[in-house]
Amino acid sequence: MIALVLRGLSTRKLRSALTAIAILLGVTMISGTLVLTDQIDRAFVQIFQQGNSKINVVVKQKPPFKDPQTEVFLNADLVTAVRAADGVRLAEPFIQVQGYVIVDGEPMDQTGGAPSFVFSSVSEELNPYSPIEGRLPTASGEIAIAKEIATKSKAKVGQAVTLATQDGIKPVKIVGIVQYGDGTTSLGGSTTVLAPLIDVQNWWSLQGKASYIYAKAKDGVSDEQLKANVRAALPQTDVIVQTGKEDADEQASVLNDLIGKIIRYALLAFAGVAVLVGAFIIYNTFSITVAQRTREFAMLRTIGASRRQILGTVVGEAFIIGSVASIIGIGLGMVFAWGLNKLFGAIGFGLPATGLILSWQTVVVALAVGVGITVLASIFPALRATKIAPIAALREGATLPVGRFQKLTPALAIVIAVLGAAGMVFGLISEADTTSRLLTLAGGAILIFVAVAMLARFIVRPVVGVLSVPITKVAGGVGKLASENAVRNPARTAVTAAALMIGIGLVVFVTIFVGGLRESFTGAIDNSLKSDVTVTARGFGGSLPAGVLDAVKAVPGVETASPVGGTAAQVDGQTFALIGVDLTTITDVYAFDWNDGSDEAVQSLGSDTALVEEAIATTLKLATGDSFKIQTISGKSATFTVAGTYTDPTILNGFVVDQAALKPLLQSNATGLNTVFVTETPGSNPDTVQAALDEALKGYPTAQVQSNAQQKDQVASSVNTILVIFYALLALSVMISLFGIVNTLVLSIFERTREIGMLRSVGTTRRQLRAMIRWEAVITSIIGGVLGVLLGIMFGWAVCKGLESEGLSFVFPTVQIVIFLVLSIVAGIVAAILPARRAAKLDVLEALQYE
Amino acid sequence: MSTEITSTPSAVATDAVVVATDLTKIYGEGDSEVRALDGVSVSFPKGQVAAVMGPAGSGKSTLMHILAGLDQPTSGSVLVDGTELAGLNDQKLTLLRRDKIGFVFQFFNLLPMLTAKENIELPMKIAGSTPDPEWQATLVEATGLGTRMTHKPAELSGGQQQRVAVARALLSKPAVIFGDEPTGTLDSKTSSEVLALLRRAVDEFGQTVIMVTHDASAAAIADRTLFLRDGKIVRDAGHLSAGEILDTIKTLE
Repeated sequence: MIALVLRGLSTRKLRSALTAIAILLGVTMISGTLVLTDQIDRAFVQIFQQGNSKINVVVKQKPPFKDPQTEVFLNADLVTAVRAADGVRLAEPFIQVQGYVIVDGEPMDQTGGAPSFVFSSVSEELNPYSPIEGRLPTASGEIAIAKEIATKSKAKVGQAVTLATQDGIKPVKIVGIVQYGDGTTSLGGSTTVLAPLIDVQNWWSLQGKASYIYAKAKDGVSDEQLKANVRAALPQTDVIVQTGKEDADEQASVLNDLIGKIIRYALLAFAGVAVLVGAFIIYNTFSITVAQRTREFAMLRTIGASRRQILGTVVGEAFIIGSVASIIGIGLGMVFAWGLNKLFGAIGFGLPATGLILSWQTVVVALAVGVGITVLASIFPALRATKIAPIAALREGATLPVGRFQKLTPALAIVIAVLGAAGMVFGLISEADTTSRLLTLAGGAILIFVAVAMLARFIVRPVVGVLSVPITKVAGGVGKLASENAVRNPARTAVTAAALMIGIGLVVFVTIFVGGLRESFTGAIDNSLKSDVTVTARGFGGSLPAGVLDAVKAVPGVETASPVGGTAAQVDGQTFALIGVDLTTITDVYAFDWNDGSDEAVQSLGSDTALVEEAIATTLKLATGDSFKIQTISGKSATFTVAGTYTDPTILNGFVVDQAALKPLLQSNATGLNTVFVTETPGSNPDTVQAALDEALKGYPTAQVQSNAQQKDQVASSVNTILVIFYALLALSVMISLFGIVNTLVLSIFERTREIGMLRSVGTTRRQLRAMIRWEAVITSIIGGVLGVLLGIMFGWAVCKGLESEGLSFVFPTVQIVIFLVLSIVAGIVAAILPARRAAKLDVLEALQYE
Repeated sequence: MSTEITSTPSAVATDAVVVATDLTKIYGEGDSEVRALDGVSVSFPKGQVAAVMGPAGSGKSTLMHILAGLDQPTSGSVLVDGTELAGLNDQKLTLLRRDKIGFVFQFFNLLPMLTAKENIELPMKIAGSTPDPEWQATLVEATGLGTRMTHKPAELSGGQQQRVAVARALLSKPAVIFGDEPTGTLDSKTSSEVLALLRRAVDEFGQTVIMVTHDASAAAIADRTLFLRDGKIVRDAGHLSAGEILDTIKTLE
């Protein structure tokens, strides 16, 4: 039987290849994603292990809770105690902060929002960086730069440059060019600068502070032994003592959670969509071929093949196609990962490089999904094949019997749809954790797609009925024929269209969802901000130097400059933002959307009262008059009483208190200044004021001055980047569904060979024949496009409504939808090229005699 | 395998391979009721070629389908090589077809992707058994295809294809071979080659053949000729010449 399957596959090469492509692309994406994220994961571990390779023990501050955006510091004096511990040969404090070097006026910072680091330079025995030119910085005013910066900026040892610090621009001199570890790895697009500890402490207001204390063991003292000794020497409960390796693994896993996992799950989600679309196509292809091979299966039954053997033939075929496609997919996955590496590099998210490795887990997952889905999708058609009675071998024009299952389709589809809708509702409104909510949401969406695909056959006839009028007008008799061909087997047309529906549906959904995200930001800027200009810190989680506020206030044309600062804080184990505002000016620059309270209440906020954002108040069940205890990342706590609630999921999303009340809760280095909202004096020229602000803040390179329009543009441009990435990833699924259209057309042309011969013999030209096939494809793609658009709008609307409290609003993307519909028609035309050619090439006489 | 097939002692002559008793087949209900078979009883002894003839709608195809276990009678019984077909489930029917029945179809029904030789071996492969090489060689010789055995069906003429189909039916030495218009799509020359092979299967190899045909020259090779009309056997004759057959058909119409 296996020989039979293999032989069958090799004689139906084109069909087998088209079927294989349907699953191959999905598998490519899965294995590519796994290879890529494995690489990232491994790179992080490797990078941090190299970084700590010279360090035996690390001492660090234990934050009261984890917040990946906030650095915590410990008392640098602890180094004395560490040095005194048994077995310690050397111990030094180390600080890492955000900052960057400016070479010839060109800032050497990370693009794409990743932080740029300045590290304090420790002695060479502990330092993960080693000079490849010059030396490590020792005296104040000296720095060393990573070789990547040197390459990019052409900066030389001995050159005078400037350093962007918390305290403004500092003139420094490059004394060395350094490389990380053995030079083979780097933190994606490294922009690291090394500076002496004292400079970093002074310029980042960290006097007496350190990020870590590094210790090196005397010969013969093991890491574990040294860790125990240091621990014994440090009675403080708020410090952590780890071996170098433990620290490296922890840092790698934190970073991996932040980046690697997000990339992994996002890409896997898109790969899942591709596989789902592939499953539809495989199901359809097998349904068609089983129908076409009715006679063959019946004959096999008459000569003694059992039902199980027939099932085996079909499923075996699926198994082989799935296996071959998966193996090729795994190979292409490596190429895909390599391509993504290049792509991320090109758009400025340089990934840490360590080379691609195919792990056995990747192979197992890719094979299991590829083969599993193909076999699964072939099972229903295979079961139908087993229902073919042997007697069909004796009848001409035997057709596949109608399965019992088919009669239950509408009822079953409705049950699936209801389950899917329930899943989506649960995903949107439940209070479970985000992962399970997203999974239920996705599961619900998949069920709805499946249900619509099952029901789609019932709308094929009416839809084609409507479409055939204009099509017949445009294409004449050929158009009429095409319409009739499309309804000949509604189930087939429906499933082919459904594959396209999924891709288009998600494209529409993503458009609406991302549009809602953009709207939530731009809407917030329009509705909440009374200010004209905003000064923020570049990079994420960055705070502004304290001097910025006075510099802004001194600019002519500035009417009000209202400072806002914040810190991560926890209430009831959940992390929120604790925001400090200037009570007298905040209502001049910001419009509170009050639920309970008024602008007057802001003026009277005391040292122990706070305003709470509505969604947070709901989550924590807080109302005006209630008290809550809050602990900030510095470990300090305070109790506040709710003085009012307001709605703002975007700008001031947290607890608003007087900045005087915030100050004592901050870490010692924090300025408590993240943003300055500025209003201009009426009648002043906005451009002039903004230019004056830029000029006034020249000494503070981390400060960024933006008008409201510029902020909106920035949001729009980052949103568009996301959208482009989503579109690119969904394009793959749409492409797969095009292969599905090609496949269905090729198969139905094959089935209608004799009929095509007849059409040609009665005077249909090749051009007309091609037009007929093209219209069939266009009808299918219009059905898919329309269903997809409708579902996409529905999903988009549901998700935007469900997340309304988080600021998402539903915007109907009219223009885009028109574009997507046009594109689906184009897709149909493209898909028809190959099948139309094949049909037109058929020899009339041979086609007529074809049996 | 044979243990899975319920054997019932036959009351009829032990040399009968296929025995039908009082077969009735009714399609539809009420006014639209059609009696395709109306109380047919017939038995086919071993080692004969039997031809079943009759005008369209006479019930000849239905009879063959029921005898071969491809269709169920409304009432009546069929024994194939001592096995009662009534009540056999699909699995048992499949095994019966595998072991005891061979088929030759009007449209050959060869698999296009297999060579002639592979098509012949197919039923044995499906059954998971190995053909007797001597018997296979004899059959290959009998088809007269010689070196064309490695060709695919598309490269063979209709007559050659049908001879391959006959060889395929014979390879497992079934108790009976059913032919459904085996010469229906062949011209007279190629059709006579196929008929000669069927004749030889009976005379030399001791096989039994029951074929439905409307081709008088095909029926003329038969040892026995049955004529059906309106679901009843109207004449059960021994060997008849083509001329006699045509005369009988005229009287039936």
